[in-house]
Amino acid sequence: MGNPDPNSLMPLVYDELRRIAAGYIRRERPGQTLQATALVNEAFVRLASERPRPFANRQHFVAIAALSMRQILVQRARARKAAKRGGAPDRVTLDEGLVSTEPPGVDVLALDEALTRLAAFDPAQARIVELRYFGGLTVEETAEVMEISPATVKRQWAMARAWLKRAVETAPDDRADAPL
Amino acid sequence: MTPERWERLKILFSGALDQPAERRHDWLTRHADGDELLAQEAGALLVAHDTAGGFLEEPAVVDPADLAAVDELASGTRIGSYEIEREIGRGGMGVVYLARDLRLGRRVALKAVPRLHDSNVALRERLRREARAAANISHTAVATVYALEEIDGRLFIASEYVEGHPLRSEIESGPLERTRAVAIAADIVRALCAAHEAGVIHRDLKPENVLITGAGTVKVVDFGIAHVDSINTRLTAEGEVVGTPAYMAPEQLIGSAVDARVDIYAVGVILAEMLTGQHPLAPGRRSMAIPASEIARKCIQTDPNDRYRSAGDLLAALERELANVDAVAETVTPAVRRSAARWWWEFHQAAVSIVYAVMVWPTWLARNVIGGQAGNAVFVTVLAAAIVAVTLRLHLWFTSRSYSAELGWARARAAGWTLVSDAIFAMGLVVAGVLVGDARPALAVIEIAVAVAAATAFAVIEPATTRAAFGQTDSL
Repeated sequence: MGNPDPNSLMPLVYDELRRIAAGYIRRERPGQTLQATALVNEAFVRLASERPRPFANRQHFVAIAALSMRQILVQRARARKAAKRGGAPDRVTLDEGLVSTEPPGVDVLALDEALTRLAAFDPAQARIVELRYFGGLTVEETAEVMEISPATVKRQWAMARAWLKRAVETAPDDRADAPL
Repeated sequence: MTPERWERLKILFSGALDQPAERRHDWLTRHADGDELLAQEAGALLVAHDTAGGFLEEPAVVDPADLAAVDELASGTRIGSYEIEREIGRGGMGVVYLARDLRLGRRVALKAVPRLHDSNVALRERLRREARAAANISHTAVATVYALEEIDGRLFIASEYVEGHPLRSEIESGPLERTRAVAIAADIVRALCAAHEAGVIHRDLKPENVLITGAGTVKVVDFGIAHVDSINTRLTAEGEVVGTPAYMAPEQLIGSAVDARVDIYAVGVILAEMLTGQHPLAPGRRSMAIPASEIARKCIQTDPNDRYRSAGDLLAALERELANVDAVAETVTPAVRRSAARWWWEFHQAAVSIVYAVMVWPTWLARNVIGGQAGNAVFVTVLAAAIVAVTLRLHLWFTSRSYSAELGWARARAAGWTLVSDAIFAMGLVVAGVLVGDARPALAVIEIAVAVAAATAFAVIEPATTRAAFGQTDSL
């Protein structure tokens, strides 16, 4: 039978994440941030109770969830940037004004761009980063999802992280001198 | 960077990483096979690795508000033939935009249906059927569904854009006036009648889905569309039932088969809420407070069989209630209360006239007892005063009943004369009573008693009935 096409499952995960977020907002905990791990787990538990179960297994689900999270964060970061430039001045929500939602030190847009470049010559490393950072998976879980050894994950993760660190810290103006 | 070079870089990086820090440089130079650039690159990566600190070590964090806001359509976005103007509503299950239909040049409310699992063909088909049915409802109190559009794999429902405010905002500022509450409920039920006839059950009626237009008319929105949400409810876990459980009939909450009577339940809740300003089953409340409404109570029965059988039955009950409310209002509105007081004022005038006229007879008897000039004088005085007072009072009584509009003027003219004639009449009776004295004690008592009664009437009672009948400012 094989796994359903990830592209068709994506919207489902996407909406589930949004629904969970809406639940958090309704419970009124302004400014509270959620770790990707918690969100993805919650979404999995919910969707896993569906019949028929839309996912072959947890790994299958997490891979899609991590990608969704990445897209969501990037989309929001872009929207915020546009709003700051005055692209959409009529709709700045209160929380945007009060809460800095980006964790200090990580520029999601720069990271996303660097990750895309990394994926061009090392898709596996890019995927490891996606799973670990956006999906909140541990080394062991990542190894399981990717069907490689935890030691390999660790090594690849170390390099990808170092490479991304350099890539992200290089200012866009110095792009010509960017690592590789 | 070629994949080959990257593979070599990987080997260099990993190999050097296994070395103690101070020996890494040497190790790299030895293993780079003379590729200085690659060795440098690996060295830079190692430095980055050592200085990376907590970079990416903690998983990404996200603000729930960001998550929820994702995927929204910015103003000016084109979706098929619609141009988004702005967001006008957001539920847990989707966003409603005010958009312009560029083909017809009209404004529409465009609801972005939550994404559905693509493989769920049956659900899609069902949605389409529901929207088609909803589009068949034609009633002024129903926001018309124009179209179900599938654009870039997403479903959108375009419906009539209603300018107005939700009923919710009125309830929030306290209970509604009874007539208005029942009238609004009746309008909602009229919409339901049309919908149920078209085979559409609303399923998510609540004060948020009832809009009051600028002209004060009622529009029920989200017919058939709301159902999308309840279908999706099953996608969400417990504790986050989408839609509003507070307005859902018990059978709907537990997921049994539902029929049109779930809408009747919702109307009951809304009606009770309009009347009391509070949800009838608010926390800490076992039963409905006050007899808010017998109709509301019948609507929110747990067993659907105990509710009204149809929207038509409920409408009939509401219309009866409306007629009753009007009838009751008749006796309680200030204008009406005044007309009741007017009746008493008229009664007072008539009663006084009769008493005055009747008193002429005992005074005639008194004249005979007293005799002489004094007897005549007393009798004539009382008779004259009685004639003036009774004539004036009958004049006022007649004017009040037949030429009400002239009454104010008539009262103004008569006021001084009645006062004088009343006073003279009472004094005449007292004098007659005193002069009769011991000769006819019973007669004397009658004369004096009626004198006191008359004095009380014109000094105390009449001003009171007058004030009640004509109001403070108008009392003369």
